[in-house]
Amino acid sequence: MTMLLAAPALLLIAVVFGWPMLRYAWLSFHADSVLTGLEPVANGGANWLRLVADQRFWLDAGQTARFALISVGLELLLAMAIALLLHQRWRGRGAVRALTLLPWALPTTMMALGWRWIFNTPYGPIEVLVRSLGLNSLDLLSTPSITWLVTVFADVWKTTPFITLILLAGLQSIPEDLYSAFRLEGGTPLQGLRRVTLPLLLPYILLSLLFRLAQAFGVFDLVQVLTGGGPAGSTESIALYAYLNGMRFLDFGYSATVMLAGFLLLTALILAGTLLLRSCGLLRPLDR
Amino acid sequence: MTLQLRAINKRFGKRQVLNQLCLDVANGECVALLGASGCGKSTALRLIAGLDHPDQGSIRINGAEMVDVPAERRRVGMVFQSYALFPHLNVWENLELGLRMRGGTAGARDERIRSVLEVLQLSGQARQRPSQLSGGQRQRVALARALLRDPLVYLLDEPMSNLDAQLREDLRPQLRRLMIGGEQPVVYVTHDQQEAMALADRIAVMREGCIEQIGTPRELYLQPASTYVAQFIGRPQMNLLRAKDGVITGIRPDDLRLDSAGSPCTILSREWFGANQMLLVRCDRGDLRLVCPGETEIEAEPRVSWPSASEHHFDAVSGRRLPSD
Repeated sequence: MTMLLAAPALLLIAVVFGWPMLRYAWLSFHADSVLTGLEPVANGGANWLRLVADQRFWLDAGQTARFALISVGLELLLAMAIALLLHQRWRGRGAVRALTLLPWALPTTMMALGWRWIFNTPYGPIEVLVRSLGLNSLDLLSTPSITWLVTVFADVWKTTPFITLILLAGLQSIPEDLYSAFRLEGGTPLQGLRRVTLPLLLPYILLSLLFRLAQAFGVFDLVQVLTGGGPAGSTESIALYAYLNGMRFLDFGYSATVMLAGFLLLTALILAGTLLLRSCGLLRPLDR
Repeated sequence: MTLQLRAINKRFGKRQVLNQLCLDVANGECVALLGASGCGKSTALRLIAGLDHPDQGSIRINGAEMVDVPAERRRVGMVFQSYALFPHLNVWENLELGLRMRGGTAGARDERIRSVLEVLQLSGQARQRPSQLSGGQRQRVALARALLRDPLVYLLDEPMSNLDAQLREDLRPQLRRLMIGGEQPVVYVTHDQQEAMALADRIAVMREGCIEQIGTPRELYLQPASTYVAQFIGRPQMNLLRAKDGVITGIRPDDLRLDSAGSPCTILSREWFGANQMLLVRCDRGDLRLVCPGETEIEAEPRVSWPSASEHHFDAVSGRRLPSD
C-alpha cells in the first residue's frame, strides 16, 4: 500500500531523473560524434579513459569546486546576518524583506547580462569610475585571477536571498518562549544566539547548503553569459565544458561522460560533507 | 511584602494593556491573576520577569527596584504554558544549561539535578528529549527548571492549560508541595477560576489592564465587587436578573431552590452530574440556572424561590456592588 501511494512520485522521478541518467550512462560508453555520423557506436571505456587523462576536465572540476564552496560559504554567512536582521522587529522591515528577495526573482541570464555590462572594459560604469579617479584599468572580465571572483560576486548577489529566505523561515519556527526561558535561566541574548538559535537553525542551514552546493556545482547559465568560461578558460565549469563538447564539438558521447563525472564528483563532495558533519556530532536527528 | 508592583502602565501601540496596576504579594503567598484573554495578566507576568519593560511604574522584589535590571539577572523562576523546553537538549541538558551558565562546580550541579529529578519522578527520563515525553512529564521538567533557578519569585503562566483535567488535578498537590507556600511569592496566571480557587491564597480578577477586585477566594465568592467578578467566580455562573429601578440582582445557582411556595417556572434543560444537577428554568424574572442535589425529583409544575438574604445587588449602570442595608 505504501509503495502504491508513492508510485506516482517514484514514476515521475524515474521519468525526469532516472531515464536521462541511464541514457547518459549508456551514452558514456559510446562514441557519438560527427566522426560516427552522429550514431552511437560502442567504444568500451574509451570516453572514461580520455576523461581521466583530460587536464582541461580536472582543471574545470577544481574551478567548479572552488566556485561552489566559496560562493556558498559567503552566501551562508551573509544570509545569516541578513536573516537575523530581518527577524528583528523594526519599522519598514516588510518593505526591506521584499527588496531583499528581488535579486533572486531576476532570471540568471538577465542579471548576468547586467553585470557583464557593469564590469565591461572600457565602457562599464565601474571602469568609467576607476578611470575618472585616474587609476589604471581593472580589466575585471579579462584577468584570470580576478574574473572568477566576479562570477562568485554575481552568484552571491543573486542567491544570498534564497538562503536568507530559508534561514528566515527557520528563525520564525523557533518559539519566542524559548528565548524568554533562556534569558530567565541567566543567559544573555548573545549566548542565546549560540545556544538556542544556531542549534535549532542547523537543519535549515544544512538544507540550504545541500540545495545551493548542488546548484552551484552545476553552474552553467551564469558563466556562459557573464564570461563565456573565459578568460583563458579560468571560469569554465564542468557543465559548461560538457555543453561545449556536446553543442560545439558535437561529441555527445564525451559530453555525457563529462556530465556524469560532474554528477559523481558532486555526490562524492556531499557524501564527504555528510560524513564530516556526522563525525562532529552535528548530524543527529532533530525531532521536535 | 516581597513583590510590589506600583502604578504600572504598559501600552502596545494604541492599546493600554496595563493601567495603573498595583499588586503586593507576600513571602510564601500565592496570588492568582484571573481574567479573560487580553486583560493584561500575561503582560503583568512578563513585566515582573523582565521580558518586557513597563512604560511607567515600579517593580520591587525584596525592596530592590527591578525595572532596569535585565531579565537574565532578575532571578525569577518562570513556568510557561508552552513549557519552553529546549528541543535539541535532553531533560538533563535542559536542566543543566542554566546551572552551567550561572557557574558552580560540576559535582554540585549533578547532585542538584539528580535530586530534583527524583522529587519530580523524572529520573528515568533524564536522557530523553522533550519530544519523547508526555505532556505531564514536560510540565514537570519545566517545574524542575524553575526550582533549580533558586528564584526570588515564582511566576507561573497558565502552567496547566495544555494538560487534560485529570493531570491538572494530579499536578496541583505537586505545585503546592514544591512552590506554593515556600519562601517565595508566587504569581499564578490563569483563566480557570477553579484552578485559581484551588491554589491561590488571594485572587486578583483583572479586566482591561486593571485589577477589578482582589481578595481571598471566599471574599470574591461571597462579596463580588461587580457583575464582572460575580460572573467570573463560581460555577455555574451567578444568575443576573434583569435590572429593576437601576439595580441588578444576582443569585448564585446554589441559592435557588425548588419550592412549592415559590413562583411558577418551566424547565428548559437539565444537566445531571451525579451528586448534583443543573436546571435551566424560565420564570417571570428571566432564565435562571439552578443547582440542586442529583436525587431531587422534579414535579410536574415546578416552582422556584430563593432567600432574599442570598441576593447580591449591583448598580445597573456601573455594574459595581451596592452596599447591602
